[in-house]
Amino acid sequence: MLNDAVIDYISLSRFKLHHGKARCSNPLPVFAGVIFFPVMEERNSTEKTPLNNVLAQRRSKSYRRSMRSCVEATHLAYTSGHLTALRIPRSRSAPKSRDITKQVDPDQVALLVKKEWQLSYVTPLYQFRHTQLKPYSKQLSAFIVSEKQQGLAIEVGQELGFKVNFSVVLGLAETDKDAETVFIQILSKQAFAAKDDAQKVVWSGWLTCVNGDLDYLRSLPPEFVSLPLLCTRGPESLTVLVKSWFEKTFDCCFGPLGINSTNLQWLASLWTGCHPTINIQYLKLVWTLPTLPPMDVTYTVDPQDAWELWDSVRQVDTTEDSISIDEVTMFIKGLQSHFFRHFRIDLSAGSLMQISTALGSSHHSGKIKIASPNYIPTILQLLTECALLKMPI
Amino acid sequence: MSLLKPFSKLPGLNTANILLVENEEQFQQKLADTVVLHEKNVNVNVRLARSLPLPMENEESRPRIDLVVFIIHLTSELSFQSAETSLKYLDPGYFLGKVCFLVTNARNASVPPERLVSVRKLAASLHCPLLCAEDQTTEGVTTAAHRLLAILKVAAGLVPMATGLYLSTFTRCTVPSDIDQQNFE
Repeated sequence: MLNDAVIDYISLSRFKLHHGKARCSNPLPVFAGVIFFPVMEERNSTEKTPLNNVLAQRRSKSYRRSMRSCVEATHLAYTSGHLTALRIPRSRSAPKSRDITKQVDPDQVALLVKKEWQLSYVTPLYQFRHTQLKPYSKQLSAFIVSEKQQGLAIEVGQELGFKVNFSVVLGLAETDKDAETVFIQILSKQAFAAKDDAQKVVWSGWLTCVNGDLDYLRSLPPEFVSLPLLCTRGPESLTVLVKSWFEKTFDCCFGPLGINSTNLQWLASLWTGCHPTINIQYLKLVWTLPTLPPMDVTYTVDPQDAWELWDSVRQVDTTEDSISIDEVTMFIKGLQSHFFRHFRIDLSAGSLMQISTALGSSHHSGKIKIASPNYIPTILQLLTECALLKMPI
Repeated sequence: MSLLKPFSKLPGLNTANILLVENEEQFQQKLADTVVLHEKNVNVNVRLARSLPLPMENEESRPRIDLVVFIIHLTSELSFQSAETSLKYLDPGYFLGKVCFLVTNARNASVPPERLVSVRKLAASLHCPLLCAEDQTTEGVTTAAHRLLAILKVAAGLVPMATGLYLSTFTRCTVPSDIDQQNFE
């Protein structure tokens, strides 16, 4: 009987832990129960825990645990955030044109559009406070100045003076779990500038999270702020300095974010789908074929033709709001087979490198340019998902 | 339809025949050379093909094929599609331990993860092993060659007490039910 009691205890506690609510402040009995029986758990879970219990959990949307790793995880289950999974999305909602200037200050929107940004992913920031932006600005500018002055024996004074601006771009966050976007600008006087010249922006970057996966964001411990997408523009030396300051101050990690061919295809379809509302003017796709020497194919499609093809693919459910990955694949396959019919070159043997329309352009290496402010939320949502999926944990 | 049949011909003495099917025809040559180089005790014949069905002209002179390996490069979608269409030309008897999938560039960050997921699902539905190989370095090619030789010798019946079907119950690819989710450990 004791055994049965222990088993129920353990299955209960496993339920608790799986829901990511495990805290070290659990009442002592449960705590002891979990630690005391790890070895027994291994044997018991394979024999006595009812199979349908475990399976029911596996089918739940957010948590994945195979039977074996169920057991391993319970030892380490006190930090929630480890027990969450993200799905590679198979369908998205169609982008709606939204005048974002109603939500976001138009000047700030102007800062974001029409520029080409390099993307990186960021792991969650520890104890980042949106209220402390002014101290952060001062610390970052001091850090940059000290790094730049390393090795110089003499104080150089004004020429290397960097001024950093941290600001918040309100209104881009979609859900209440998204953290507000933070925009960083580094201004500096040009060398040999006259004394009264204003400082110019030499580097800008922004950290954002738009419609991030809710289960993941909820499972983060409260001290962490997740702003997984970093867009930067400016000299690489300054980018490296900013990243190292963030890494030192907030204990996070940065990494390059590429946009793989599936996501480029998503962007191409989403932008083509916007054609009736706003003329995309052209749809250009660039492929690289692995021939010797490597061949680049730039395939420009007239927007009306692209729209008709997209519309015919979407024939089945034009009333529904969501676009599925199959429709995207059919759209791209249609373009590829048309190309094959004319040139006998099968583009699926190569890799999609870049797509661009009048609404924006996106490159495989992680560069994105958004030209129109109306569709910013959709694009940022896609990029946030990419960043969250790429992030190592 | 000209199906490739596994048991319609007699086996050779101390011989094993392997067929490497690859759309791009790059990795199979290196792999073939390495496989032949590393096997000393058994006569290994490596046949290369771009896709199935194999040409009818060689039907008579072709020996019995013990193992068919589909090489899929994850960097191109065409590779996967060509392997899928070639599968139709294999007799079902092959799927009892005489077919193997070999993927390259599985670790490549620029490859969409969905492609590996779909290859895994295909291999799991056919109960075949899925090997990942590194095709750019000599060590990678050698490792892949050794693994293929191990499976080949069993499939050709040269290992006592082990058959292809028996081995495939251990080596076959399995797909957890939640494979569409990203792994966070």
